Amino acid sequence: MEKARVEFVLNGKAAWVESDPRKPLLRVLREDLGLTGTKQGCDLEGECGACTVIVDGVALRSCLLPVGKIAGRSVTTIEGMGSREAPHPLQTAFLEAGAVQCGFCTPGMLLSAKALLDRNPHPTKEAIVTALEGNLCRCTGYVKIIEAVQSAAELMGGEARTPASEARTQETIPDPAASAMGREFSGIGGSPERHKGWERVSGEALFAEDISMPNLHYMSVVRSPHFHARVDALDVAPALEVPGVLRVLTAADIPGENGLADYSLDEHLLAPVSGRVRMLGDPVALVVATSREAATQGAKALRVDYTPLPHRTEIDRALEAEAIPIHDGGNLLAEDEVGTGDIEGALGESEVVVQSKYITSFQAHMAIEREAAVAYIDEEGRVAVICANHEPHWDRSSLSKILGLPEGKIRVITPPIGGSFGGKQDIWPMAAAALAAYHLRLPVQLAYTRREVMDAAPKRHPYKCDCVVGATREGELTGMKFDALINKGAYDSAGRYVPNYAVTAAVGPYRWKATKARARSIYSNGPKAGQFRGFGTPQAAFAMECSLDELCEKLGADPLEFRLRNALRENDVSGLGFRVAESLDYVKVLEALAPDYHEASLGVAAFNAEAKPGLRRGLGFAGMWYRFGKFGRPLSQAEIELGLDGSFTIYASGADYGQGIETVFTQLAAERLGVSREALRLVNADTAHTLDGDVTGASRNTYWVGGGVTDAARGLRAAILDAAASLLDQAADTLTLRDDRVSSPRGELSLARIAQELEARGIPRRVKGTIDLRDVFPDNERTGLYLPMFVTGACLAQVEVEIETGLTRVISVSSAHDVGRVINRRGAEGQIEGSIVMGMGSVLMEEFIPGLSTGFSDYMIPTMRSTPDIRVHLVETPSRYGPFGVKGLGEAAMLATAPAMVNAISRAIGLRIRRMPATAERILAAIRGEKTTE
Amino acid sequence: MNYVFPSTLAEAVDILAANAGRARVIAGGTDLAPMFRDGKIDASVLVDITRIAGLGEIEIGDEWIVVGAAVTFAMLRDTPYFRERVPALAQAAASVGAAPIQAMATWLGNIAQAMPAADGGIVAVALEAEALVEDPAGSRWVPVETLYKGAKTSSLDSTRQLLSHLRFPRPRAGWASSWQRSGRRPSLTLPILNCAVTLRLAPLATPQAQAATAGLATTQAHAAPAMLAAPQAPAASAPAAAPEGAAPFATIASATIALGPVATLPFRARGVEAFLAGKTPDNYVIEEAAALATSECHPRSNPLRASGDYRSALIPTLVGKALREARDRAIATMVREQQ
Repeated sequence: MEKARVEFVLNGKAAWVESDPRKPLLRVLREDLGLTGTKQGCDLEGECGACTVIVDGVALRSCLLPVGKIAGRSVTTIEGMGSREAPHPLQTAFLEAGAVQCGFCTPGMLLSAKALLDRNPHPTKEAIVTALEGNLCRCTGYVKIIEAVQSAAELMGGEARTPASEARTQETIPDPAASAMGREFSGIGGSPERHKGWERVSGEALFAEDISMPNLHYMSVVRSPHFHARVDALDVAPALEVPGVLRVLTAADIPGENGLADYSLDEHLLAPVSGRVRMLGDPVALVVATSREAATQGAKALRVDYTPLPHRTEIDRALEAEAIPIHDGGNLLAEDEVGTGDIEGALGESEVVVQSKYITSFQAHMAIEREAAVAYIDEEGRVAVICANHEPHWDRSSLSKILGLPEGKIRVITPPIGGSFGGKQDIWPMAAAALAAYHLRLPVQLAYTRREVMDAAPKRHPYKCDCVVGATREGELTGMKFDALINKGAYDSAGRYVPNYAVTAAVGPYRWKATKARARSIYSNGPKAGQFRGFGTPQAAFAMECSLDELCEKLGADPLEFRLRNALRENDVSGLGFRVAESLDYVKVLEALAPDYHEASLGVAAFNAEAKPGLRRGLGFAGMWYRFGKFGRPLSQAEIELGLDGSFTIYASGADYGQGIETVFTQLAAERLGVSREALRLVNADTAHTLDGDVTGASRNTYWVGGGVTDAARGLRAAILDAAASLLDQAADTLTLRDDRVSSPRGELSLARIAQELEARGIPRRVKGTIDLRDVFPDNERTGLYLPMFVTGACLAQVEVEIETGLTRVISVSSAHDVGRVINRRGAEGQIEGSIVMGMGSVLMEEFIPGLSTGFSDYMIPTMRSTPDIRVHLVETPSRYGPFGVKGLGEAAMLATAPAMVNAISRAIGLRIRRMPATAERILAAIRGEKTTE
Repeated sequence: MNYVFPSTLAEAVDILAANAGRARVIAGGTDLAPMFRDGKIDASVLVDITRIAGLGEIEIGDEWIVVGAAVTFAMLRDTPYFRERVPALAQAAASVGAAPIQAMATWLGNIAQAMPAADGGIVAVALEAEALVEDPAGSRWVPVETLYKGAKTSSLDSTRQLLSHLRFPRPRAGWASSWQRSGRRPSLTLPILNCAVTLRLAPLATPQAQAATAGLATTQAHAAPAMLAAPQAPAASAPAAAPEGAAPFATIASATIALGPVATLPFRARGVEAFLAGKTPDNYVIEEAAALATSECHPRSNPLRASGDYRSALIPTLVGKALREARDRAIATMVREQQ
């Protein structure tokens, strides 16, 4: 391809490239100029905004700009925005406001904001939304981004400004006991800047796809174009003929197990010849080449002969005898059931019973970063993979089985992750890249296209739920039945656990006389469904909290009063048949929303009384509980080291994909050590350096890994004080450790001095900390594998429906969550705000259609314009065993949002909506009394 | 591969001619970039027309409004005259993707790509705009509507021809436009349905009507004339006619209604337009017209966006809203003129 010389100005300096002038500026920046701060989220089609740059003062999509077009123009990228020493006010404001979670959309967002402020120094909120709504963010719910831009505008205008860091939380509802625990250090409960925040606002953070290495090679994946087919033959020769293609890898090249180990019990890494592909995008072969283009062409050239088989992406008839068998052994992957009391008796005696069916759809995570991995042979001869994950040690163990290598010959490194929401728990990308590096002994990069993410990465399971709930006329709950058919898609991908999550969430934090909940995971030829924020619980919470709302309407009961009356108390036996093991105060959560609830009720009534033509508002309420912490050993560990120079380094494993666990680790350690966060380094989630922290999932990391970090800080502090005590000849309890020294009335010692003393005495400077609850949970006979620890939350949503079109807008949302103890206020708010907007997407617009959904252009996620007014209430009921009383939040925040919004829609139109998403089309059909296909 | 910036139209046409089908015009490039990615455009020369002198200008002439081929949607969106006097155009421009797309994409490029529901195409058809086609044979104005040959197929050959300007008549008193659009989310999405309407009202030459108009003008000044209050009535109730005592004072001289995506081309609801001609623009008439529009259109289902049935259900709502809004604006211009 003929190249042309294009000259332009880049970040204030003359630049030129020799390039095909059609090549998008985005690729030129990243590939030819090594400026990887500009991100790619979609397939170069202008859908996500992550690649935004400023050209002659205007924010543009660099993926849509042929580089030829910028000849003579002046381009500003994130690298030209500010420096660590002289940051742009927007960079500062984004960090202060907590507007950065994963940081992948951040460079584009910052440049859109900069272009705005450069031409309009005092933008209204509407102007901010107009300028930034083209930039998608999946983490933050946009609330703090808007605040950050407003704050930067004030800063740049030289006005006295409300720091964006001032918390948005309406209030914290503390536990009286919490004050006894003290807030003696500034670290806990504040809103510190994100750990490695600067890297994320400057473009310096290297996400997996940004990593360059000498001699880096590229991979492309040959994927099934069929939903279900037998692989008859593979001809790799045409691929090998493509110039630049080095190697094709097939199932025959897998040295160990052709599987994904514990992540997915029935899934192959590559479909073998005479085996089957069971979903669109099912991988068949890997092509490794010297360039992306060659790899892609090689994959296209490779010939696969398939015999297509009948397929279904639905599960409605999957358990019938004549159903298409997707795996040998039938289409039922797993089922679970819980129950207490005499359910038929309880329902039979109920004066009011509601029976209904609730349906949800496949949903996609839509992290802005696509799946990517870099694998290479490291200096110790290990197969090393840099790839997003949720627990590097688990993945190392899985890779060991796949590659047939001892774990010591494998290293898994966690890079900055551009959003996951559970999706990047899939070990396929990592395994595929590792296999290539293993064979070629070369550095290899794999990056999914967005289309591959859509087809082949996990999705949220669609549910069909039959629900029955009963109550006495006075409004006392009696019995509940729940039966869910869960569309698993083609492979396990941890779906074997989902039925348990479903039934647990369905029972909810209520006092039932009797319960009976069942859920079954069933195969289809849909995409493999896997972990997605809440992992099987949001669908069940949607079904049950909407059922309860129906019951309220039938009883004429107030939804908040009704839940208060029936709320499970800490010492009650739950509908699962056992008591919870951690503190639980659902009543306090519900009461936290009471003022907002009453205010919004009046507002809605007043609006509807005005009878604005064609518009109706509704108020919806929902509660929830969420079992945080998953199953497995009730034990977690981490380490902290005192360096000989007196510095601290935390060694822990808790993947940070935007939720901010790294910030929390540094806060917990700083608090316990008595030093500032700046004094701490963190080595996180690298199997070569850190202990197994167990999986980052089920909102468990702050509690468990944080528990290990806190205990390590305690242990190291004690060792330091002991050493100092003997050096100073003082009792250890008269000493203070602050910042870089230990002081006493008789003198002080630097930490470096103490470190040398420890070294001289042979006392370890690297201390392991443990949270060990094996005594608390001696056996889990009653609770199954899972630890019975729950958090509760509740949500209130106000919506407006246009009666003639069904178009619905979420106007305001209030959310209350028991977080145990606030560690990072902005971080906690950010999790809730992001969940509310993600939940809103699932209610109003998000529906993944297998084979049709191709990316951001047809799988809609909310934009900034849709963000409602959000109020967050953080409720503190300290946990008994977690560090500083913490509980889990990140996933929990998801559960109550969707049912609150759907209840609001149902109440606005006076008709029940029982399906998600409740698109305008479905709402209008309900209003018009039309039968829908379901 | 050459990427060239001709400085005149003649030069652009010459380059196209000299390359005999191997060159291609590029303007904003937002539609072409994904086609380059997919290898769908195999040109040896790209002729970027956005730096040709004059093509980036909007001329509000006495007779015509002329828009150059390098004018972006952002410029249309931000032009005060359009916001004030041709809101359908400003709002259609603001509907294209989001601001960063609007800053690149051009109105004429949008038309040349011939997407059946492109916001720029729909509004151009409703404005009965004409495009200036340039090729070695010379330049000539052709109605935009005639450039559409089928879904995504333009009669324009972008390897040999280009559109340099677009024009539509300058609005007069009594003329107004409206834009309505529905999508799965408020921005950055293709429309489930979009609709542009223009109305030209003619004053009735009766003394009462003139008195009524004058009365409205003097008593209500810039506030909405009494007749404008009618559409505010609850949708559920019967449509309101002109308020008592305010005799009809205008008829519809002509109407244009363009809709997408209800056909393979931007669709003109000509049956409805004919129905409206000569009628009084009261709410009864508008409701009838809106209902008629449904029967004229045959939208298709797209499982990712909306079913044909839902689109059909939206048609009377959007067309009705557009007609009422255009009517109210048109009356306002007549009132203003009388003042």
